[in-house]
Amino acid sequence: MARRWFNASPSPCGLGLRSRPRLGGGGQRAGLPTSHPAARSPKLPPPKEGKVSHRTTARRLNKSSALLALSVLTDSSIEHYRGMFSNRAMVLPIIASALTLGISLHGAHDPTPRAHGLRHTVAVGAAVTGLIGGGFHAYNVTKREGRLSWHNLFYGAPLGAPFALILAGTMAVAAEHVRDARDGRTSLFGQPAGPMLAALTAAGLAGTIAEAALLHFRGAFQDRFMYLPVTIPPIAAGLIAKAALEQTPRWPRLTRFWLRLTATLGFAGAGFHVYGVSRNMGGWHNWSQNLLAGPPIPAPPSFTALALAGLAALDLLGPSRHD
Amino acid sequence: MPEIVPPAPRGKDGRAPDVLRPGGWVPMRQYQDIDEVDFAIVGTGAGGGTLAARLAEAGFSVIGFDAGPWFRPLEEFASDELEQTKLYWTDNRIVAGDNPIELGHNNSGKAVGGSTVHFAMVALRFRPEWFKARTRLGYGADWPVSWQEMWRYYDEVEDALKIAGPVRFPWGPPRRRYPYRPHEVNAAGLVLARGAEKLGIKWCPTPLATVSAPRGLSPPCVYRGFCVIGCSTNAKQSALVVWIPRALAAGAEIRDLAMVGRIELGPNGLVTGVHYHREGEWRFQRAKNVVVAGYAIETPRLLLNSACPQFPDGLANSNGLVGKYFMVQSNDAVWGAMDEEIRWYKGPPSLALTEHWNYTDTGKDFFGGYAYMSQGPLPIEFARTLASARGLWGHTLREAMSNYIHMAGLKICGEVLPREENRVELADATDQYGLRIARVVFGYCDNDNRLRRHAVRFMRDALAAAGARDIWESESTAHLNGSCRMGDGPATSVVNPDGRSWDIPNLWVCDGSLFPTVGGVNPSLTIQALACRIADRIKVMAARGELQRPATPPVRTAARAAEWSKL
Amino acid sequence: MTERNRFPGYSTLAKRDTPSWNAQTRAVVDKRLNDPPPRRFFTQEEWSVLVAVCARIIPQSTQRDRNVPMAPFIDQKMAENRGDGFQHAGLPGMQQEWRRGLTAIDAEARLRFGAAFIDLPAGRQDEVLHMVQQGDVRAPAWADLPARQFFKGRLLIDIVTMYYAHPQAWDEIGFGGPASPRGYVRMGFNRYDPWEAVEHA
Repeated sequence: MARRWFNASPSPCGLGLRSRPRLGGGGQRAGLPTSHPAARSPKLPPPKEGKVSHRTTARRLNKSSALLALSVLTDSSIEHYRGMFSNRAMVLPIIASALTLGISLHGAHDPTPRAHGLRHTVAVGAAVTGLIGGGFHAYNVTKREGRLSWHNLFYGAPLGAPFALILAGTMAVAAEHVRDARDGRTSLFGQPAGPMLAALTAAGLAGTIAEAALLHFRGAFQDRFMYLPVTIPPIAAGLIAKAALEQTPRWPRLTRFWLRLTATLGFAGAGFHVYGVSRNMGGWHNWSQNLLAGPPIPAPPSFTALALAGLAALDLLGPSRHD
Repeated sequence: MPEIVPPAPRGKDGRAPDVLRPGGWVPMRQYQDIDEVDFAIVGTGAGGGTLAARLAEAGFSVIGFDAGPWFRPLEEFASDELEQTKLYWTDNRIVAGDNPIELGHNNSGKAVGGSTVHFAMVALRFRPEWFKARTRLGYGADWPVSWQEMWRYYDEVEDALKIAGPVRFPWGPPRRRYPYRPHEVNAAGLVLARGAEKLGIKWCPTPLATVSAPRGLSPPCVYRGFCVIGCSTNAKQSALVVWIPRALAAGAEIRDLAMVGRIELGPNGLVTGVHYHREGEWRFQRAKNVVVAGYAIETPRLLLNSACPQFPDGLANSNGLVGKYFMVQSNDAVWGAMDEEIRWYKGPPSLALTEHWNYTDTGKDFFGGYAYMSQGPLPIEFARTLASARGLWGHTLREAMSNYIHMAGLKICGEVLPREENRVELADATDQYGLRIARVVFGYCDNDNRLRRHAVRFMRDALAAAGARDIWESESTAHLNGSCRMGDGPATSVVNPDGRSWDIPNLWVCDGSLFPTVGGVNPSLTIQALACRIADRIKVMAARGELQRPATPPVRTAARAAEWSKL
Repeated sequence: MTERNRFPGYSTLAKRDTPSWNAQTRAVVDKRLNDPPPRRFFTQEEWSVLVAVCARIIPQSTQRDRNVPMAPFIDQKMAENRGDGFQHAGLPGMQQEWRRGLTAIDAEARLRFGAAFIDLPAGRQDEVLHMVQQGDVRAPAWADLPARQFFKGRLLIDIVTMYYAHPQAWDEIGFGGPASPRGYVRMGFNRYDPWEAVEHA
């Protein structure tokens, strides 16, 4: 079934950088419930000229939140294991992110142009869990000897981690709202979806950049490549923030380029972190220490996830491109 | 399985061990004994290793001699206290005085890299006022260098070692940020932090010479906790891992397992080279200059053992001050049991410290200062402390030791005043080379004891405030300083501000013996900074042609010495 | 006396083939465990006293295969003359201190309790050792060897060193043991890594 949603079709100019699932596989026949097989008819009116459909954008957001949720799931599992689950609440982000991952994958395969109640609830739950987690983490940092100090920011519970869960939930919620375009308009949290999503992306990038900056500062930027997450994503964040403020984005190609570069950087970062783990004493042979102590491999793909959300925002903001 | 301690020297045949790569070698330039090298440096630790690197980088021909072996930490350092006693100077010395000091693991290394191979990596700067202790604070002696000048060299050394220190250091004048970030403070350090916060004083993560992030081929510290018996991770930035490789790369030769037994003085009042014992025989290396950097016991010992008709009381000793004004630092400590599990064996032994009593001049009934640090002794070290401090043995000892993972401790680095009667001299007994061994005579004075009492009282309060119970005390000393001190004139010092001896213009000292006062912080950073300064001064003097020409006329007569003692 | 084990099931030796031990550590500890040095320095009489003294300083269970030997390693240290790097002025040096000290302890036992040290019951042996520790000694064999200094600075130090050099002693106190290349991750209060000892109060 997945294949029907992901069949690539040639783009108008034949230079598709990525194949986007076209609406050839989605849609709903009027009057039929979405569960009815006949409802999943390929014969839908094509999207408006140059506009990507909301369902596509929604699925993109699902992928974004899936990636964020996967990152949070892996990262919080390792880190809370490191914390010995000393507080029972430490299982919550693992559960929340696992559920978010599940509903996001579901949504990514779902062409229905309707918000899904359970998905929406789980997504909100994830965002709320992230908020609560942020509170726990802030308490953890400030209750330690030294209170709010550089040392505790370095080694206490990271504030950026629950933020990633909030983002995962928020993107999943956004996916539902964007998907549900019954009267042709979309709004997100009371604002037009495009600018709101662009703003959320910018905020998400800013938080992720701050987290990477803090931890790379802790690592003394000992490797030149550690400057990448504090140089490339800020430009993308700036551009998408600018797009959020404009009715129609003035520099969509440039913005897309930097978002795609940021997306690539996310995966490259994971690769760098794999190298970083191997560079510690004992390398992979000492995995039981180095996987926990070394640079977190699941963290950099958050950039990729946010870049995806940013690209989705651009789709909503203006004419789509396939360049 | 190859022998763990090599019986044969490794620095030969045109190559030297590359300690950063298992089994690795680097090419090493070698000189012949008849080559009159610019500098023969005796000792390759914080003083000698640093100087060898800086002088070689300045273009001088340098040979560094070390009595100890050239260890390969990655392959040869075991996680075992008994095995690792191989790092220490365990050749015999006599200790005497009112408070005879312990020697060996607490202050004396024997290896290429010297005592930095086993040191606890604490890297602290002198408080600026200490450089003028007599003038500004009313005790001890003034250093013949300014704190501003030293500040620059501290910057250099901290960067060379990539010291991992707090983002903001709570004490002293503004300073450059430490090159690497601080290590995570372990529970033992957090006990210090708790106590400090309860008593209202500042504390911070200890600046340490072990990396908190990768550095070249050094991985970051793995917090194994065996630091003072040898870092097998090579995260520790000892002279073996930092300065010696730099020296080799710049063309210096390092001769390991080479015990220098005597410095030869020529008829013109200049030294001509060193007699050293290597591979079973005595040899003589010619040199234009000789630098003694054997730390504060072996340096005066060598000078005294090099006595000759022109200097019957030892080289550079016409004023009788070689070996005098010897200082250690008091290491009194308090220990207590916590309800929480502390497991202090994880991580460097001193991850947190406070320098409050170094920078406060009120509320003290003594001159000088002390810092105190959290502790993390390994089993044998702790059992010895427990046994000798509390006299426990039998089941009570085993009971007490079984609470090991709940223990926390605070220990001072306490200033000791420079006093002439504390000294290093020659005993009659001889060692395996037929050389007279050192006798170290030491006693605390009233001021030293007032400081120790103050410190123990305060630390008891701090430990109790942090929640510890059954608090008890121990005493010991660490570090060796002052026995060939530098000064402004030949009446009161052995060497001038550049480490050049007043008596013999091509005989230098470059190690902890130089200190006119010892301060309340570990000396290694200051020793390395002095070495960098001396190297720069030598460059300047060489450019001016002042190296071969004596700065002051050489003194050879007892009459002259008597004249000076009246000054 | 039953020895309470705070860390049941914990064994540093069991980590021998994990990243916590490296080749050089294995070689060193194997040698210590499997190849204790033979008696080379002490005479048979001195040796017997030494063994008996060790058994009082560090009393262990009577099960032979679980005992940590200390005397062989003290003998080895004396035979190889590998000192700690210092000697108090006025003391004869560690080899002589041990020889004369052991002889004097035996002489003290005979003087005070009319029997050789090794023939006294444990309680009496402890009393003799307490006397030595206090410096409350009467046997002429002490001569110019200060009993207090000998006990505190030589006897006690050497014996506890050899006990806590043994993996069994490490297990008993919950020490993490050898740690290279793998060190530790969890550093905070009440935190320990899976390869550390778990305390059962």
